[in-house]
Amino acid sequence: MNVSSNIRSFISETFFVDDFADEDSFLQTGIIDSTGMMELVAFLEQSFEIKITDAELIPDNLDSLANLCRFVERKRSEAA
Amino acid sequence: MCGIAGFALPIAPSPDERAAFAARLRRMVASLRHRGPDALNGLVLPGIALGHARLSIVDPAGGHQPMRDAGTGVTLVFNGEIFNHPELREALAPGYRFRTASDTEVLLAAFLEHGIDCVDELNGQFAFAIHDPRDGSLWLGRDRFGKLPLFYVHDRDCFAFASEAKALFAGDVVRPRLDARALFETLHLWGPSEARSAFDGVRSLPPGCVARVRGGELTIRRYWELDLADERIDHGLTLDRAADEVEELLEDAVRLRLRADVPVAAYLSGGLDSSLLCAIAQDQLGGTLQTFSVAFAHERYDERAFQAGVAAALETEHHSIAVEAPDIGALLPQVVEHAEATLLRTAPAPLLKLSGLVRDHGTKVVLTGEGADEVFLGYDLFKETRIRQFWARRPESSVRPLLFGRLYPYLDVSRQSPQLLRQFFGIGLDEPGALDFSHRVRWTNSGRIARFLSPAFREHLEGWDPVAELLGSLPARIREWRPLARAQFLEIRTLLSQYLLSSQGDRMLMASSVEGRFPFLDHRLAELSARLPDSFKLGGLKEKLVLRRIARGRVPAQVTARTKFPYRAPIAEALTGPRAPTWARELLGRDAVDSLGIFDGSKVERFLARLAARAQAPSDADDMVLAAVASTQLLAHRFLGEREIPRAQADSVKVCFA
Repeated sequence: MNVSSNIRSFISETFFVDDFADEDSFLQTGIIDSTGMMELVAFLEQSFEIKITDAELIPDNLDSLANLCRFVERKRSEAA
Repeated sequence: MCGIAGFALPIAPSPDERAAFAARLRRMVASLRHRGPDALNGLVLPGIALGHARLSIVDPAGGHQPMRDAGTGVTLVFNGEIFNHPELREALAPGYRFRTASDTEVLLAAFLEHGIDCVDELNGQFAFAIHDPRDGSLWLGRDRFGKLPLFYVHDRDCFAFASEAKALFAGDVVRPRLDARALFETLHLWGPSEARSAFDGVRSLPPGCVARVRGGELTIRRYWELDLADERIDHGLTLDRAADEVEELLEDAVRLRLRADVPVAAYLSGGLDSSLLCAIAQDQLGGTLQTFSVAFAHERYDERAFQAGVAAALETEHHSIAVEAPDIGALLPQVVEHAEATLLRTAPAPLLKLSGLVRDHGTKVVLTGEGADEVFLGYDLFKETRIRQFWARRPESSVRPLLFGRLYPYLDVSRQSPQLLRQFFGIGLDEPGALDFSHRVRWTNSGRIARFLSPAFREHLEGWDPVAELLGSLPARIREWRPLARAQFLEIRTLLSQYLLSSQGDRMLMASSVEGRFPFLDHRLAELSARLPDSFKLGGLKEKLVLRRIARGRVPAQVTARTKFPYRAPIAEALTGPRAPTWARELLGRDAVDSLGIFDGSKVERFLARLAARAQAPSDADDMVLAAVASTQLLAHRFLGEREIPRAQADSVKVCFA
């Protein structure tokens, strides 16, 4: 499973959303609430073996599926 | 306070029909017995049946209902209180010969004198039905803020009304079915829109409205609505002058609400509003006030120390009742039975227990601080609106959104990254002029519950947007108002009557036959508040400034210095885990959820598993999901099946014919 579908299925399963677009803002459309964001971060760290710093907790990195994928890919390439 | 019910019938029914109508009326009134156990009566007249369950508060000896004027045949049933009845009586006395000392007869006389426009003269809380045989009209009326409920069913061949929907079911007027739109509205707005109930075909007469049924036609007219237009603001007022005026009127509002032929007590939450009310009432009563409080075992919800401090300072006879999470789980079925609604909170449950404590002390009437937050801008939502407006003027500011951290220290939100916080509270920031600017964050949040609906149920609602419908129903003039005024109007329109005054108010009080009275919702006070500059109400981020000023010296300083502490009760703790009640285990099970078909059983199952597996406390959003599913399941369980009114109960209703 690729990064995008992996994260998408986590979000669907965890937050009970059936469908959403890659570009939808999680917070502005209410897909995920702010507590949920922390759960999402824990999931990313665990499944992609990356460390996310507080400074990286910004909408540009986290607040849509498209942003998340870009962010995860970048973190992984930095790690490699 | 009382319960009323009735229905239209033919002018000349056959004897068999008459007997059947009387039996129906008996069942309807019997189902409202909790609202008025002191006398259960009905009257079958040509064209109308009227029933009444009475809680005797004013003129216990007279004041029986239905009440009929012998001369005209005008007959009424009335639930509530007309607080200014002595003044009205004096004004009406030249043209009407009073037989009783009751406020019911004052309403009758006022109707005979002024017709339905008599509502303009009333200062009170009421829901009534008046039958006027002179022109074959049935009039319904409801007080300005909708403190008391009034439901009706109107279709081609029937018109019926009642204080609670259960009476309409008991009378076989309509078959109980949940209204999909009302449920969907509740999941977004916390209650159905003002004309709906939780049940299909059962309508609610909106606050401040009168209705006329004549020849099968129903017309509804709004006679009062709070006007918060900018032009009403009196900019010449100083804060001191405003405080004097508010204090004088509040004193009068309390004085009117202490009028009763039985003792009047008060709820004391330990916050500013109820403490101030208690102080005023205690002064006026000369030291005999009894106060009643809920004490939570869990410190997140508890205000015991403040309650005890105020009670001691005011020297009231104080009573409190402890509530723990398991109590709430055990009470919720009864709560839903009375509220007749889907709930996003369990906060009504402790109030049900509290009204039981009041009744056990032999008290029938309590003052409560309800309404002060709507009238004097007490809620965090108003601060949130102010911050968002301030921020929207400079959306790129990184400092302005940090104010949210100050606003919600008790919410998980403040522990999040400031950037994400911004994103969350920035919903709709690009449209600061939008009608729903103030409520968009809240409604986006609660609307998230809708994703738990089953696909089949959702299908009915495809393309229907409850927020758009609400906004479309608002009077056009509010678009011209300032943002805080619009926020205030929306808060009153959505939450006050359809949730706070009903599920958290009237229904929880009436469940124990206790009447609530709400001095802050005296319409004169609301109209005065509309004249005050916003800064006298919400000063910066300090709420209810003018009330604080009045309270200074009258209630302990620790209370006047307090910021608003939202009244809440545990949810997940009460409904899940090892101490969960049996009903919750049964009704929240996958099969039970699927068989009702409103929520998606597998999603609910996974949701509950996730709550159980998670170490941290459930979020606010999770709590709302749980409350919504549990209360809807209870609502269906209680109302959708067959339910007979026991014969003996129906027979205890005395029905006369005329």
